[in-house]
Amino acid sequence: MLAKYVARRFLASTVVVLGVTAITLALMKTTSGSYVPGIDLNPALRPEDIARLRAQLGLDEPPQVWYATWLWNALHGDFGHSMIDGSTVTSHILDRLPNTIELTATAIVIGVVLAIPLGVIGALRRGSKTDHSLTVVSVAGFAVPQFWMGLMLILIFSVTLEQHGLPWLPSSGAFSAYNGGDVFDRLEHLILPATVLSFFYTSTWSRFIRSSMLEVLSQDYIRTARAKGMSERRVVYLHGLRNALIPLITLIGLELPGLVSGGLVVEVVFGWPGIGKLAFERALQYDYTTVMGVTFFATLLVVAGNLLADLLYGVLDPRIRYG
Amino acid sequence: MSRDEDAEGFQQFERFLEEWSRRDFLRRAGGAAAYLTFLAGGVEFLEACAGGGGTQSATPKKGGHVVEGNFSDIRTLNSMLSSDTASNQVIGLMFDGLLNYKKNGDLIPQLAQDLPKISSDGLTYTFKLRSGLKWSDGQNVTSDDVKFTYALAYDPQYKAVSSPRRGDLSKYIQSIDTPDPQTVVITTTQVYAPFLASHGLYGILPKHVLGSLDAKAINTADFNTAPTVSNGAFKFVRWDKGQQVTLARNDSYWAGAPYLDQWIYKVLPDSVAVTNQLKTGEIDIGPVDPGQFDNLKTTDSVVMGEFAVPTFTFYAYNLNPDTNAGKLFTDKAVRQALLFALDRQKIVSAVFFGHGSVANSVEPPTSWAYKDKPKVLYNFDKSKAEQLLDGAGWSKGADGIRAKGALKLKFTMITNAGNKQRESMLQIMQQSWKDIGVEATPSLIQFPQLVSQIVSIRTFDMFLVGFNWSADPDEAPLYHSRNAGPGGFNGADFKNDQVDQILDQALGTVDKNKRKNLYGQFQDIMSDEVPSPVILFNSGIYGVNKRVQGTDFGSFNQFAQRPWNHSVWVTDGK
Amino acid sequence: MIGPSRVAELDIPAAGVETGVARPAQSYWNESWERLRENRLGVAAGVLLVVLALIAVMAPILSAVLTHFQPQTIDLDSTFARPGVGGHILGADELGRDTLTRLIWGARVSLGVAFLTVAMSLTVGTAVGMVAGYYGGWIDDVLMRFVDMVLAIPAIFLFILMSILIRPNAITLAAIVASVGWGSVARLVRGEVLSVKQRDFILATRSIGAKDSRLMLRHLLPNVLPVLIVAASLGVGQIILVEAALDFLGLGIQPPTPSWGNMLTNAQSYFFRSGWLVALPGITIFLTVLASNLFGNAVRDAFDPRLKSH
Repeated sequence: MLAKYVARRFLASTVVVLGVTAITLALMKTTSGSYVPGIDLNPALRPEDIARLRAQLGLDEPPQVWYATWLWNALHGDFGHSMIDGSTVTSHILDRLPNTIELTATAIVIGVVLAIPLGVIGALRRGSKTDHSLTVVSVAGFAVPQFWMGLMLILIFSVTLEQHGLPWLPSSGAFSAYNGGDVFDRLEHLILPATVLSFFYTSTWSRFIRSSMLEVLSQDYIRTARAKGMSERRVVYLHGLRNALIPLITLIGLELPGLVSGGLVVEVVFGWPGIGKLAFERALQYDYTTVMGVTFFATLLVVAGNLLADLLYGVLDPRIRYG
Repeated sequence: MSRDEDAEGFQQFERFLEEWSRRDFLRRAGGAAAYLTFLAGGVEFLEACAGGGGTQSATPKKGGHVVEGNFSDIRTLNSMLSSDTASNQVIGLMFDGLLNYKKNGDLIPQLAQDLPKISSDGLTYTFKLRSGLKWSDGQNVTSDDVKFTYALAYDPQYKAVSSPRRGDLSKYIQSIDTPDPQTVVITTTQVYAPFLASHGLYGILPKHVLGSLDAKAINTADFNTAPTVSNGAFKFVRWDKGQQVTLARNDSYWAGAPYLDQWIYKVLPDSVAVTNQLKTGEIDIGPVDPGQFDNLKTTDSVVMGEFAVPTFTFYAYNLNPDTNAGKLFTDKAVRQALLFALDRQKIVSAVFFGHGSVANSVEPPTSWAYKDKPKVLYNFDKSKAEQLLDGAGWSKGADGIRAKGALKLKFTMITNAGNKQRESMLQIMQQSWKDIGVEATPSLIQFPQLVSQIVSIRTFDMFLVGFNWSADPDEAPLYHSRNAGPGGFNGADFKNDQVDQILDQALGTVDKNKRKNLYGQFQDIMSDEVPSPVILFNSGIYGVNKRVQGTDFGSFNQFAQRPWNHSVWVTDGK
Repeated sequence: MIGPSRVAELDIPAAGVETGVARPAQSYWNESWERLRENRLGVAAGVLLVVLALIAVMAPILSAVLTHFQPQTIDLDSTFARPGVGGHILGADELGRDTLTRLIWGARVSLGVAFLTVAMSLTVGTAVGMVAGYYGGWIDDVLMRFVDMVLAIPAIFLFILMSILIRPNAITLAAIVASVGWGSVARLVRGEVLSVKQRDFILATRSIGAKDSRLMLRHLLPNVLPVLIVAASLGVGQIILVEAALDFLGLGIQPPTPSWGNMLTNAQSYFFRSGWLVALPGITIFLTVLASNLFGNAVRDAFDPRLKSH
């Protein structure tokens, strides 16, 4: 039964991957206006150069032919070379991925650590002043444009502090330009971008935990536990919180597909060399191969994430049967 | 692509960052004031000297590093594949060419011992290489390397190499001979005056590393992202994609080993970040946006240098009579009237905060062919603009928009989104022209779409961009009718037989005086025809941290061409 | 935070309305409404939103009567005018344009895009979700695979390419953002429909031969409505932020049309010269999003059927 289900899902996933890559290419082709990647307004370029480069990049081929070739190579693990810089697309993705994971994982950890107490307190004191103020605080964290918050943090914690001779934080990159790269150095660079990104998670998840706690606390088994005379503390933490956290784990799992665009704005503001920034820059430059590679990779993440979430549901909740 | 990035890139400049010493700086934070006072002596002198740096009385110290920041990411480290300024800039630190520029654009020998001997028919250039030139791996730099480098872009054998230089080189190079390891003889197919200025500066590549690869393999060679040898002041250490390129001193550099241990090129999100990091000292050298000049001027640790650059910002009328806009703009009175109606001095002061100068000519003032008063000058004169339009039969309709018969003076102006100055200029143009009864609507598109509009699609009415010229006054790419075909930059479809003739004649003459005369005529005609009026000549501005000495930025020494980069040093030795 | 795909992932209840009758009982609406009214914070936030919407609607009148400036009129003689100088109540920007006037007109764009995006996402998403969930079978498969695809394309690619394909103005930008956002709504609605359509009353209505369209509109839609209301009220604030982020990335509303996002982006370079140019649109966005989130939360608390036993 499970095997059949997985097979069906696999088939559906294949359709999704093919569709997504085809749609992306079609959109790029439609909008490119026959732009040749890497061409600038450089007086040294001759019309023949532009024509020749176009042909060499394979852009003269009909899109379906280009797509077929690309797909064939991709299935053999060859995602080709970037049309902007000639490096392999795989190396681009592998170079940026650790940075993005570093940033996102840190932000998620901060988010969870802050969100749980905020959410639990809100749920336990539902309707109280504490609850209202927690609501405002968590909602407020979510009401500031990320790029604005990032710029303000840079102006305060980098520029202003430095100008006053106080200890300050670096404002861009994942490590120091000179002799950087040790753990302390990377942590220092992580603080500002991770702070901005974690605001999003904290706000979202504290609301989530609050409502999921409320739901759990209204369940029969909680009432039973209370009726049995279990201490409130035990009820809340042993039964309530534990059950309320299960959906949170799924939610965190759902962040996986967001790896590409989730931290994009933060990556751009802080010059963080991550996958989102790569995707953004290369799409604007019509680097077909890189965009297709990132799309392929991102789609696999989504598909894998969905599959995993579904399977996990089945494990966690025996009532779900696959058919 | 960062928001401020502009591929044609006049805004690219440079500067350094000191990261390691940042913590050190913290330790002595209390003493910062004293430290600055200590440095202040040398500083006044530096400020007087545009471009920062320059001569310095103190003895240079060995050691330390410099971080140069920029908002353009680099693409390749192969000099024959690169076409963007940022890449050329990093390549320039690692690979020397036969020749280089002085600040004013005059050619000076680099790997070549002297400027080449030019045969009397103007077709043959004979270069002698300096003796004892070494690659960083100890091999000799020979004439074979030079021949190999140029072969990548002209030899049919290397046709599959994706070099943006092939169009020109394969057209002009007849053959390259290497009678001995020190001598290179380049024979051209025809006299081409800008040959040396345009093609004599490419970084020379190592044949002993790349020579065994076939054309296709060269496009994707590891060398392009991690060159194993170099012949310039620095050699490659590491490229952290999307963040920085780290270079180290090349001890076997022909002009003597540089003082610095490391030169780091760091990519930043935008020009605001460049300013911020110049302030914090995260970068030591960086290009400064005109809007940030005042902000940085008050920062003690940064010295600013400003200089004229061979870059102008212009707008172009679509002159193709088959288009709607062409029907409006083929009327010379309309072209002239629109320019008269623009208060360009105000544009320079409001949009560029005074950093730039109103353009009277199509040749930049940095050029030796520049004519500061060509035939027609366009000082802001609204009533003259209206007279011109009235005289040409464009009269205001009920809606306040001028029209001639069924033709309305109404069009759209495009430029690339994300370039603040250009966005502002379009808005000022819109309002200025509205005042004389012309309806111009700004529209912002992404850079690739703008390039496509200019070089191929050409359905635009008017576009606004900047153009960055070399030291040679040739402007055929923009104004010669042969470049009005698909792929050419004459997207405005300007076709003028006389201009074509003058430009061709000037290209085929090596006599500088004759050329100057021809370009004078060219500027006169252009001032009368105004097919694509130049709004202003831009300024280059660099911020350099006080601890950095020996930089000498100038009109032609800002990106790839920096004959001084091996003599840069840092006062704190860090 | 770039993708509104997260709208639906927030914390919208996934369960159906367990009322057991053809549509939520009248008492459910009344009770919800009562609960909403009791939430003072939520009501205050709602009032603020209404006021902002009124300002947006009356922008032409306000700029004529109150500020006496037009949003796009350049005055190079009063660049960076301080608040209060030259009749500029909140100062002027780098081209001498009146900040207050631009904020007022910006409200049109920013709020307009937000409401329009939510409306478009909900309409398309609901339609697709209902059809997929109701008919099931191959229709469901085809539609949901397409939804999967839309949700799987990295949002930033869709934003970039769509913004090049259809040049962003207030309306097309809403379409662009909605083109990413409708997918999750469709999923949500489909899930609801699947659970609702198995209930007795639907089966009964079906057995007496009611038309599909009637069944969907009269019986399924009302049951999905609470979920949609919650999604909509939580969505507005997020879309304002998405719009601002797109402006920041250069993919949103293009100057000279003012939106809060592009005013904010534009002003960053002048932080040290004119701090208020950065502060004002920032505060405006903050307050608006705060208000819509608070209001959204209040609506959710009031309408979330799972919570009503408290």
